[in-house]
Amino acid sequence: MASPGVLVKPAVRGLALLYLTFLLVIPVGLIFWRTFENGLAPVIDGLTTQATIHAFQLTAVIAFWAVLANTVFGVVAALLLVRYDFRGKRVLNALIDLPLAVSPVIVGLSLILVYGRTTGIGQALAGIGINIIFSIPGMVMATIFVSIPLVVRAVAPVLEEIGDDQEQAARTLGAGPVQTFRRITLPSIRGALAYGVVLAAARSLGEYGAVAVVSGRLVGRTQTVTLLVQERYLNFDQETAYACALLLVVTAVLALGVSRLLAPKEIKR
Amino acid sequence: MSIIVRDVGKSFGDFAALTDVSVEIPTGSLTALLGPSGGGKSTLLRVIAGLESPDTGGVEIEGRDATRLPAQDRGVGFVFQHYAAFKHLTVQRNVAFGLEIRKRPKAEIKEKVRELLELVHLEQFAHRYPAQLSGGQRQRMALARALAVEPQVLLLDEPFGALDAQVRKELRAWLRRLHDQVHVTTVFVTHDQEEAMEVADSIVVMAQGKVEQVGSPDDLYDAPANDFVMSFLGPVTKLDGQLVRPHDIELFTETRPDTTPAVVDRVTRLGFEVRVDLTVGEEEVWAQVTRGTLDQLGIEEGRTVHVRRAAPVRAAAV
Repeated sequence: MASPGVLVKPAVRGLALLYLTFLLVIPVGLIFWRTFENGLAPVIDGLTTQATIHAFQLTAVIAFWAVLANTVFGVVAALLLVRYDFRGKRVLNALIDLPLAVSPVIVGLSLILVYGRTTGIGQALAGIGINIIFSIPGMVMATIFVSIPLVVRAVAPVLEEIGDDQEQAARTLGAGPVQTFRRITLPSIRGALAYGVVLAAARSLGEYGAVAVVSGRLVGRTQTVTLLVQERYLNFDQETAYACALLLVVTAVLALGVSRLLAPKEIKR
Repeated sequence: MSIIVRDVGKSFGDFAALTDVSVEIPTGSLTALLGPSGGGKSTLLRVIAGLESPDTGGVEIEGRDATRLPAQDRGVGFVFQHYAAFKHLTVQRNVAFGLEIRKRPKAEIKEKVRELLELVHLEQFAHRYPAQLSGGQRQRMALARALAVEPQVLLLDEPFGALDAQVRKELRAWLRRLHDQVHVTTVFVTHDQEEAMEVADSIVVMAQGKVEQVGSPDDLYDAPANDFVMSFLGPVTKLDGQLVRPHDIELFTETRPDTTPAVVDRVTRLGFEVRVDLTVGEEEVWAQVTRGTLDQLGIEEGRTVHVRRAAPVRAAAV
């Protein structure tokens, strides 16, 4: 007698595929199709305007600093959460997940509330020549904020799993804290760390909401690729919009592919 | 004295792991910290190593106050129950770790590592990774790694606890021989009294965070300080309200001076040894005799025999 599982399995699989088809495959496929609808020339034209090149450069710069900050913070926070007991540990743990729960637009607005030109902090910083809002520092901060959990959450479970035996052994063999981290801890978490970094990079490249709010969307100055896509689309320059979107998608897919290669076994399964 | 522990106390939350523990470990000795789990022996070892800091009291290693010294400056070798092998390094690099940290010349490291791998019989595994070794091999690697930095004291935390019985027996004998070769002051933690008696020169019995008794295996076995030590170090039974070793109960077919009549409830043959369960008055007692004695006396279930406690005889020196 055939068990009901024989029928349930393909049905569930079909449903899942259908779901992904309508939500993911068709839209992304259409972007691909619309991009190359009129041949290659308009695509190349769209991607080589000054505004587009600037947007890609700006996005890369912002993603670089955001990923760097989150890599350092992520490793430190993961070590704190897994290896140490301290007051406020649960609060820190909850705060790290906050960016997943809060809409990026709210993140942007709250940054303006703190660092905007009308606030005390904003004016004080402007006094020494630092502008946070409507300029790159604010955009980097917004990007950092939305991608905070990615590195921490990739690294912490691996730290938990390897335990601190090896670190203690290194210490009894004469290694100081820095040597122990560099020679023992870091090689053990390398895969998970790379995975978290790639995820954070993908998230940083694609961030829209928080950056849109704090950037002021100044074309050629504070316009990242996602902002450019939106602006070009609204101005009926759909070719450029689609071309840039496709390039972002390709970058994201490549990043995901790389992250799959780097992912620790537990995450791959 | 190589290690002096003075009045050490250590609590984890409400749990007092160590209370006023004082122990002295002579230079060059092989000492076992023996006791039931949760008795504080691992904590004491970790306090000596600097992996835990004591709440009160102090630790001296080779005449130097080490109480506030971080683990990496104490000159101790530590071997963990679960090996703590550096998984991303080969056997060779694992053993070389401490020497690389100390920035010794490459040629010297190479020579020393070769020597140590020979000592622990892992020469042909130098280029393997820990994952490719058996448990016993990993633990030997961990030992070589700890010995590489020529520690003043070698500390082993339940070193054979994770291994199966056969390998455990081999490694015990091997540790004993190794100590005879290397002579480094060694302290190991175990909850297995047989392991402690077989390997150690001196045993520190610990329970509930306190030292119960310190002495040679023979001292502890023949002159236990209290009932706990007596019952922990070997089998015991009760005769006339006193703890007795079952092999110290003598059986006779007729009355003798100081004997008490007893009824044989059950005879269990365990190879060479025979366990005889008896009822003496209201008490249940068991005696351990040899097969020869059993056959000679013709003891069988239901018979009445006469028992007494054998006069304590010190093992005669051969």
